[in-house]
Amino acid sequence: MKTTHRQYGEIVSVLALITAAGCLWPRQYDIFGEIYLLAVFALSLRVGRLAALFAAVASAVGWNYFMLPPAFAFAPLRPGQTLLIGIYFLAAVIGGQLAAARVGRERARLLARSEELHQALFNGLAHEIKTPLAVLRSALDEMRARGGEPSPALLVESGRAVARLDHVVENLINHTRLESGVLQPKMDWCDPLDLIRSARRSQADRLGLRAIDVRVPPGLPLFFADAALMEQVIANLLLNAALYTPPAAAIAVEGGSDAPNRKVFVRVRDSGPGIPPELQERLFQRFVRGAGVRAGGLGLGLAVARSFMRAQGGELTLASAPGRGAAFTAWLPAPELTDLPP
Amino acid sequence: MTEDLRSSLLVVDDEEALLAVMRVTLEAAGYRVREATQGRAALGEVALSSPDAIILDLKLPDLSGVEVLRALRSICRTPVLVLSVLKDEATKVAALDAGADDYITKPFGREELLARLRTLLRRANAVASDRPLRFGPLEVDLATQWVGRQGRQIKLSATEFQLLRLLVVNADRIVTHRTILAELWGPRAEGRVHYVRTYMAKLRLKLGEEFDAAGYLQSESGIGYRLVSRPGEAGEARP
Repeated sequence: MKTTHRQYGEIVSVLALITAAGCLWPRQYDIFGEIYLLAVFALSLRVGRLAALFAAVASAVGWNYFMLPPAFAFAPLRPGQTLLIGIYFLAAVIGGQLAAARVGRERARLLARSEELHQALFNGLAHEIKTPLAVLRSALDEMRARGGEPSPALLVESGRAVARLDHVVENLINHTRLESGVLQPKMDWCDPLDLIRSARRSQADRLGLRAIDVRVPPGLPLFFADAALMEQVIANLLLNAALYTPPAAAIAVEGGSDAPNRKVFVRVRDSGPGIPPELQERLFQRFVRGAGVRAGGLGLGLAVARSFMRAQGGELTLASAPGRGAAFTAWLPAPELTDLPP
Repeated sequence: MTEDLRSSLLVVDDEEALLAVMRVTLEAAGYRVREATQGRAALGEVALSSPDAIILDLKLPDLSGVEVLRALRSICRTPVLVLSVLKDEATKVAALDAGADDYITKPFGREELLARLRTLLRRANAVASDRPLRFGPLEVDLATQWVGRQGRQIKLSATEFQLLRLLVVNADRIVTHRTILAELWGPRAEGRVHYVRTYMAKLRLKLGEEFDAAGYLQSESGIGYRLVSRPGEAGEARP
């Protein structure tokens, strides 16, 4: 564990307290010898090795100088007292070892978790990319075998495979941009209606014939946001609504403002089966996917959407109850527009 | 279409596979196709064969797309359609500001590519028209500054009309936020995108629900606006 100034501060204050108490009850110097020992051990579990040794030295000096008679002078040590001071150092070393082992275990656990995530990403990726590639390849082979004669069914499947590959790659690129910290939102004024419409247009192929009701009240203020990020967030939410609900379920997108809380929002609401409470928060984690998935996916869509909202100083929330649909809301701080156009 | 049959294109991309596929598509659509895989070679080719339109990938091994565009614009006004990977708005805006006429994002569909090209070539061949133009229910006569719906005049403020005029004159092309700001409010308004948003919302309200819902006015996130003369045509679907 790395030693910091804060850790030295902690050691000095704990030992000073003990020393002050020891000066109040000078006769109890034996007991204070043991209290110092406890303090050294407890501190060494929390601080770096060097700081633990410092605690042992400071305790030995403090105990001897302030408490062992004669007080306020260095006293010659009896064998028992020498042994106790020896034990201070032993406690510091043992505590230091235990702390180091704990840090090691923590690091190993994090590493295992990150490996798990990478494994999940890799497995998902392999599946998500290989499947459409397999479709494309066998469709091409089949058409080649027919002497270049195209087949309507194969062409439809090939088209779907390409759209799916495109979506996977898009989300993966966004995810990587976020992970690498390259993402710098370019905030500017956006019309919420424009954002909703371009998101819908960008997903026109995959949304197919699903009816989507768009409602934006005429007086809604402009949003201060990164238009491209907002478009991606709304697109991901629309696509989710379409993929995770039966074809007959209604989908609505509304813009609005929550004046008392000084927030504006875009909400995507569906009348699908809803999301069970235990799944709701987990859904925003990477590689977690909802139940009853028909189409594939990496489970990155919502994670990416939430990170995009947070990168803009906003938030993405979910309200849902089983059987009563789901509503995802992308929140932004209400903007203050003082510079009106002439 | 006889015009298209004789149109020649220069396709500039360093991806041989994409060049090969585009050549098949474009030749099947009746264009004459020449190719270049580098920026300098492309500039030489333009001087040599003066194509009717250029399809230019923004990522080339020798010059950047913007450098090629600047060099091109110093010698000719040939329409340029730029190809870019990713939804990188900054690069697209830079290319449009450097003189590109339109962009398309890889991977794009055949119909989309052909529709964009048709628009580009149509505009290059267009003669200034004095007659009123129609966009669905909307009639616009730039000469008399008359805007109406089913014969009934829509009253626009001077700024609103200027904005509409800018979009109509550049129909089917992107007009960047920067261009709109510079044209309507001059250099001191640079960067004040909310001026554009505010006036666009006003204009939309006046032009009416029917016109608005039909998708004639398209916002290109972070880039600008496009007035589409035929919404619903394949080329209108964005990548």
